Amino acid sequence: MDIQGEYRIPASRETVWAALNDPDILRECIPGCDTLEKTDDTHMQAVVTAKVGPVKAKFTGAVTLEDLNPPESYRIVGEGKGGVAGFAKGGAEVRLAEDGAETILTYVANAQVGGKLAQLGSRLIDSTARKMADEFFGAFSRRLGAVDAPLSDDDLDAGVMEEARHIAMEDAPYHLAEAIEDAEEAIERRVHDAEEKVEVAAGRGVLGGPFVWGLIALAVIIAALALAN
Amino acid sequence: MGVEGIGARALRKEDKRFITGKGKYTDDMVLPRMTYAAFVRTPHAHAKVTNIDASAALDMPGVEAVLTGHELVADGIGNLICGWMIHSKDGSPMNMGAWRALESETVRFAGQAVAVVIADTQAQARDAADQVVVDYEELPVVVSTTDALAGGAPQLHPEAPGNLIYDWDIGDEAATNAALSSAAHITRLEIDNNRLVPNPMEPRAALADYDAAEEHYTLYTTSQNPHVARLVLSAFYNVAPEHKLRVIAPDVGGGFGSKIFIYPEEIVALWASKRVGRPVKWVSDRTEAFLTDAHGRDHKTVAELATDANGKITGFRVQTVANLGAYMSLFSSSVPTYLYATLLSGQYDIPAIHANVKAVYTNTTPVDAYRGAGRPEATFVVERIMETAARELGLSPAEFRRRNFIRSFPHQTPVIMCYDAGDYDSSLDAALKAIDYDGFPVRKAEAASRGKLRGMGLSCYIEACGIAPSAAVGSLGAGVGLWESAEVRVNPVGTIEVLTGSHSHGQGHETTFAQLVSERFGVDTNAVAIVHGDTDKVQFGMGTYGSRSGAVGMSAIVKALDKVEAKAKKIAAHLMEASEADIQIEGGELKVAGTDKKLTFTEVALAAYTAHNLPEGMEPGLKEGAFYDPTNFTFPAGTYACEVEVDPDTGKTRIVKFVAADDFGKIINPMIVEGQVHGGLTQGIGQALLENAVYDEAGQLLAASYMDYAMPRADDVPSYELYTTETACPGNPLGMKGCGEAGAIGSPPAVINAITDAIQNNNLAMPATAERVWRASRGVMAQAAE
Repeated sequence: MDIQGEYRIPASRETVWAALNDPDILRECIPGCDTLEKTDDTHMQAVVTAKVGPVKAKFTGAVTLEDLNPPESYRIVGEGKGGVAGFAKGGAEVRLAEDGAETILTYVANAQVGGKLAQLGSRLIDSTARKMADEFFGAFSRRLGAVDAPLSDDDLDAGVMEEARHIAMEDAPYHLAEAIEDAEEAIERRVHDAEEKVEVAAGRGVLGGPFVWGLIALAVIIAALALAN
Repeated sequence: MGVEGIGARALRKEDKRFITGKGKYTDDMVLPRMTYAAFVRTPHAHAKVTNIDASAALDMPGVEAVLTGHELVADGIGNLICGWMIHSKDGSPMNMGAWRALESETVRFAGQAVAVVIADTQAQARDAADQVVVDYEELPVVVSTTDALAGGAPQLHPEAPGNLIYDWDIGDEAATNAALSSAAHITRLEIDNNRLVPNPMEPRAALADYDAAEEHYTLYTTSQNPHVARLVLSAFYNVAPEHKLRVIAPDVGGGFGSKIFIYPEEIVALWASKRVGRPVKWVSDRTEAFLTDAHGRDHKTVAELATDANGKITGFRVQTVANLGAYMSLFSSSVPTYLYATLLSGQYDIPAIHANVKAVYTNTTPVDAYRGAGRPEATFVVERIMETAARELGLSPAEFRRRNFIRSFPHQTPVIMCYDAGDYDSSLDAALKAIDYDGFPVRKAEAASRGKLRGMGLSCYIEACGIAPSAAVGSLGAGVGLWESAEVRVNPVGTIEVLTGSHSHGQGHETTFAQLVSERFGVDTNAVAIVHGDTDKVQFGMGTYGSRSGAVGMSAIVKALDKVEAKAKKIAAHLMEASEADIQIEGGELKVAGTDKKLTFTEVALAAYTAHNLPEGMEPGLKEGAFYDPTNFTFPAGTYACEVEVDPDTGKTRIVKFVAADDFGKIINPMIVEGQVHGGLTQGIGQALLENAVYDEAGQLLAASYMDYAMPRADDVPSYELYTTETACPGNPLGMKGCGEAGAIGSPPAVINAITDAIQNNNLAMPATAERVWRASRGVMAQAAE
């Protein structure tokens, strides 16, 4: 089966690339990830506990990164073995595109599952994979956006919106245009701050960017792909 | 219960224990010091096993042993065999690949056993099986029949180049080709028969117990034919000689064919029991059942029917590719050949038939006999093309069939079978009347006024059951004879035990066989016990499959009863000083005709055992045995009529009415026969509408649980209307035919013919799910909208 996904990550492409190669960040963000190790620049190993419908198992996965083109794209291939639960294997093309200060990550993955995963969980794989992918990228985005910053994206938006609304209510209608201008300015300022923080975080020398993709691909792809039908 | 002879709707004697939960199944058997087996199965459909590491498993609590194919081979356990030799049309024998009960080198279907863990409890065995680390080197996979024969396809067995098991044909090719080339019309149809999983309610199970002091094995197992199991285990798998192996098939919860075969798990349980010196029990879980019970059907067919200007069939050409899965199961080779192509004449007088069948290996679960075994495949081809041809010729499907019915018997078809008796018009008449065939257009119009699509489909099936005689099947390649044995033991107080080689796993033998005895001797059916399913009790038997227990099994009982009756009459005549010819048995008494002299059956039995006053030279006792080898198959036949209503918005098919008119010859217990027909129809409707064993391209069985494999439920089927017609079978003493499979054989084409009629699109594959029907009905809906 093929699984596709697209995520907007509030960080620069370089930052995202680097984070995707940081075993610590990956371990934190991959749902059910017990261990994750980088054995060399293009190989990672991970143990991920995944549950697909009635099948719950610990998958021992090995991921290889190929066609590295930092910070734009790479290919990840991997296999996870889950003992009697079966296996999942697959690959994904991962691309990072810049969109202003943010990064849009897209992946196209194909995966194959076998054993109990296929026999019992095949129709649940797609949704489980998506759920895991969402969880991973949600955690990943929060992780990148949260470095040294007490505000999450949600907090940021809510704060700005509340401020804008407050100003608008106070000065309306006379100062409405001004208030909106202020609000926009405030938002920009916040975004700029966040970007800086993200860059700082990225600058903390995460290893090769693709690893994260590998892991994501591993977690998302293997788990997701494994789950996908 | 009283005297309930032939024709009585006697309640089933066995149901008391079944419906009160007192049945004794293999899993109910508990032996001292018993261990449990759990199999390590490959998740890959095709792979080399590069390493098996059992060290972690052996350290788990309660683990007695972890055994692999290496030990199995070292101990000399033989490969699994296919017991019916088929020769290709070039005369070469079929190409059978080696199948080990545990495969430690190359696995060929997902779910194949690689190793087995023996532990104190089932949970410990399963937990430890999870810790056996097997390394695989994956190989390319082939799943479909079409791909299997393609150049460059992955090869499964070195013994079968190109994955071809055999290329077999039957009939007169030249005459058939000539008929097609001179035909006024040719109807051509491509037909797939979907793959099914048998799903008996009770999964397979085995409990093996090796007695080291006696060097004797006992195997409790879910078998439809314990004697054949013992024979094969002994003669081919080298587990033990027959006299050192007792096979018991206690209550068995359904089989549908899937429990005919000897599987790896029984062999391993026996072997492991000796290895560990303790009894070994294995009970299949439902996933294992989906993965390892022999599947059914899976044919791909192209059929061409030639007709002349008068709508008479002049020739029939059929080319089929049958998927036998990764290995040749016990009778798999016979199913798409002698159990299939020999029925391609249907109920019709067809001068020339030629069929070519190629059987192929694929990386899927082995395929073998499943309720109907070859005859549903044949019936689907014949009845789909009959309906299609009628539509193309502008004839009513009933009329087209009538024009081609066989009406004189015996009738020799061009494909081996010689039909002994039948009256196809009368079952067609009965079905058409019951479903009000002539009134259909009115109902169709009424449904159309509600926006619904009505369709009518017929299926005039014929099947051959009670496979026989032994010499004939032997000449066709069968490795066994297909007779049956019986022994009738009259006890001194007149109660009767009937030992039969047939095996009941839902058929109700304990009732129908007792009814036969009751009919003959006038004794209460409660005074009759039916003994079966134990090789230590019954001398030999061929078991139950192919709807043979009535026609063959009961015929053997009749022969034994004949001998008992003859001896009882001799004793009675002697005691009453009458002529043997004047003794009549009536109401449990032996009477001297024309007098009031009589003895009860009990008095005669007691006299036989006291032996105080027996005719000169007569041996004491009243016990007789018989073997019965039929002279021919029996040929049940009938017409099924199905009326459906399709909701074009959802594609959902509702079977509005289903009429079955069957000719089963003489019927012993109508209630049991109706139950068999209900079950068969439901399985056939399941195949037509719901069931499909789907593999992905990597050979993973995706429909391996009840979440994905749709079994028919009560609300999927209508309340059936059943009718019977009767032409006695001349081939057996009771005139019986088989009824166990007819429903599953005849119903799928009736359903598909009805749906394709409703949606006016003949291109519809089984199972006709709502989605498929919805898509196929788009054309007619678009037309209606214009």
